[in-house]
Amino acid sequence: MKKECIAMLLAGGQGSRLYVLTSDVAKPAVPFGGKYRIIDFPLSNCTNSGIDTVGVLTQYKPLELNSYIGSGQPWDLDRLDGGVHILPPYMVEGDKGSWFKGTANAIYQNIGFVDMYDPEYVVILSGDHIYKMNYAKMVEAHKKAGAACTISVLEVPWAEASRFGIMAVDGEDNIVEFQEKPKEPKSNLASMGIYVFTWKKLREYLVSDEADPASSNDFGKNIIPNMLNAGEKMVAYRFDGYWKDVGTLESLWDANMDMLSRGDLDLLEDSWPIYARLPAEPPAFIGKSALVDHSVVTQGCEISGKVMNSVLSHGARVEEGAEVQYSVLMPGVTVKRGAVVRYAILGENCQVAAGASVGGSPESCDPDAWGITVLGPGTNIEPGEVVAPKTMLNRDHKEVHTK
Amino acid sequence: MKGLHGIIFSYEKHNSLRELTANRMPASVPFAGRYRIIDFVLSSMVNAGITDVGVVLHGNYQSLLDHLGSGKDWDLSRKHGGLRLLPPFSYEETGGVRAFRGKMEALAGVRSYLEGVRQSHVVLADSDLIVNIPLQEVYQAHLDSGADITAVCTSSVDGPDDVTYFRLDGEGRITETLYPLNDPTGCYRSLEMYILSKDLLLELVDECMSHDLCSFRGAVLQAKAGTLNIRSFVWDGYAAQIHTLKDYYVRSMELLDPTIRREIFHPQRPIHTKERNDASTYVDPNGTCCNCLVADGCTIEGTVENSILFRGVSVEKGAEIKNCILMQDTAVHRDAVLHQVVADKNVEIMASRTLMGHEGYPMVISKGSKV
Repeated sequence: MKKECIAMLLAGGQGSRLYVLTSDVAKPAVPFGGKYRIIDFPLSNCTNSGIDTVGVLTQYKPLELNSYIGSGQPWDLDRLDGGVHILPPYMVEGDKGSWFKGTANAIYQNIGFVDMYDPEYVVILSGDHIYKMNYAKMVEAHKKAGAACTISVLEVPWAEASRFGIMAVDGEDNIVEFQEKPKEPKSNLASMGIYVFTWKKLREYLVSDEADPASSNDFGKNIIPNMLNAGEKMVAYRFDGYWKDVGTLESLWDANMDMLSRGDLDLLEDSWPIYARLPAEPPAFIGKSALVDHSVVTQGCEISGKVMNSVLSHGARVEEGAEVQYSVLMPGVTVKRGAVVRYAILGENCQVAAGASVGGSPESCDPDAWGITVLGPGTNIEPGEVVAPKTMLNRDHKEVHTK
Repeated sequence: MKGLHGIIFSYEKHNSLRELTANRMPASVPFAGRYRIIDFVLSSMVNAGITDVGVVLHGNYQSLLDHLGSGKDWDLSRKHGGLRLLPPFSYEETGGVRAFRGKMEALAGVRSYLEGVRQSHVVLADSDLIVNIPLQEVYQAHLDSGADITAVCTSSVDGPDDVTYFRLDGEGRITETLYPLNDPTGCYRSLEMYILSKDLLLELVDECMSHDLCSFRGAVLQAKAGTLNIRSFVWDGYAAQIHTLKDYYVRSMELLDPTIRREIFHPQRPIHTKERNDASTYVDPNGTCCNCLVADGCTIEGTVENSILFRGVSVEKGAEIKNCILMQDTAVHRDAVLHQVVADKNVEIMASRTLMGHEGYPMVISKGSKV
């Protein structure tokens, strides 16, 4: 049945800069903020924005992501007509199919899916951002401007502008130039990687881009510059809420800490709920000897130790005499008696044995040697073991170095 | 088809849960931070592989309907079977207006539903019981013993006053069913959970109907003790019958004991409930929280001790909560002091109010009140 607007969610990225956290799962399936996974944010935004048809493009280690999304019921995306669809790469006649070569190619390969709904507009989203956004407003602005493409942008400090894709605009926010990580930025409007296209236009550019053997089939590198060069109407849509790309370990940790401070990213504020699929677990128990300060706890947690400035996901346990500070404990983590965890991200089901020490504060060591300590899912730390700041261990207890 | 079919009775025997049942049946009274009482029996059934459950409704069941919905949160929204709500309009004569007179009358009211039951056996249960029991084991014991009826009971006689007791012979057969009983020493307390075959159930329903008998206890357990092989299944795991407000308060507070929580929240037999979307609970630097069961979506800026907080409760700075049960979305404003208080859903306690109950007689604040 015809839909005015559908969303395509790019969720195939490996998330190589999250290292051990994405050794078994795609980046959008990485846990966030106690109850969520990253993909809950774009999926919930879709539902809250009235978009009931979402194609999720998967490629890298999709098992956990696929089973997490399931029928789409937690996001109200199990629909008779539309709903959430997992779209993996596939073969076509004559052994011709291929992996998704780039973000644009992923959509190109699924032109058939989009055409099924014959939409006027397509919203392109990525699965690695934490934000609450009403896409309906952006589509409305796109319609009003009569644009071929609308790109949502965020004002960033000028000093940081050279880290982003920058959109130079005229007085009416029409995009006049796109600069990818420029040395001398012409504006401080950074692309958030969220696009609204008029489907008819996008379809043309996808087809011609595919025919160009030199193209890397990417939205930022190819489609957007091509449309600009051809003189299509492209408009910047200014977004002023909280938005964070959690593609690196530091930014993932930062975003968790941002959530704790309940400033721009207040998940307890319920006008724009974020939905999640959760196991059936009892309420959290905070014991007699527990101390919890500026932290979040989630159902299934059992806390008898000290927890400060930390995010505890469902099923996390902190035993008596243990201490967790400035850390993110993903689902099912156990910190045993007397163990200390500071400035760390602990992947799902990690076990920190009694008396061990993981990570340390920036003051505790040479500033150059300091960093967040990361344990991959399922890592076991031996009793009394010391894991230094900035160390990253995988489930086989081997050290992994950042590049 | 072999297997068990679940039937849950929802009715109120006495109005002793006070304000908590002013607008709802005991089955849908909130319990343990994120559940309703019926979730425990319903989840026990689902975890035992039961796919079809009928809930016999009586009284004010609006809140129960809201809670159960299509049954999907218990995996009971199915093409075949699943959850069936059996409202009282299928009773003969006066509809559901008159008082609940007994299980046999209620079953007679849903006789056509019983005929359609696909399973060979039926488990009957009340909805005032907090338990996490492996019902497949009870069913196996029923089949192995060759009993006509198997009744689940406990050797702990420490329960509410108005319960049924059994006297057993050496082989576990129930020789006497007693109610009321002043001195239950040596008896077993019935948990009001019975397994019998569908055929026998239909036979008993018809017989009771034609003799104008309403009570399962009187017309079946007592009258047929000699002719039917009625046997016991002794469950000495955790089981709490919630009849009075005192039961409710004491049994709630027991959940702060880790050994009891481990029995009720068994990892292999999860208790399912209606999902809500709440973020994790936030404890502010000004807040302290100890010895508490805390559901998601709470904001704690004050002091909370020995209490149970349901989803979405907020406790502002300077407030002091001790030995309380605060249900969904209760808001306690600055510097209010609450001891031994049970606050129903959406209660608002204004700044600096002081409310004190007593362990034996907790103060209850009705749903939606502003104090």
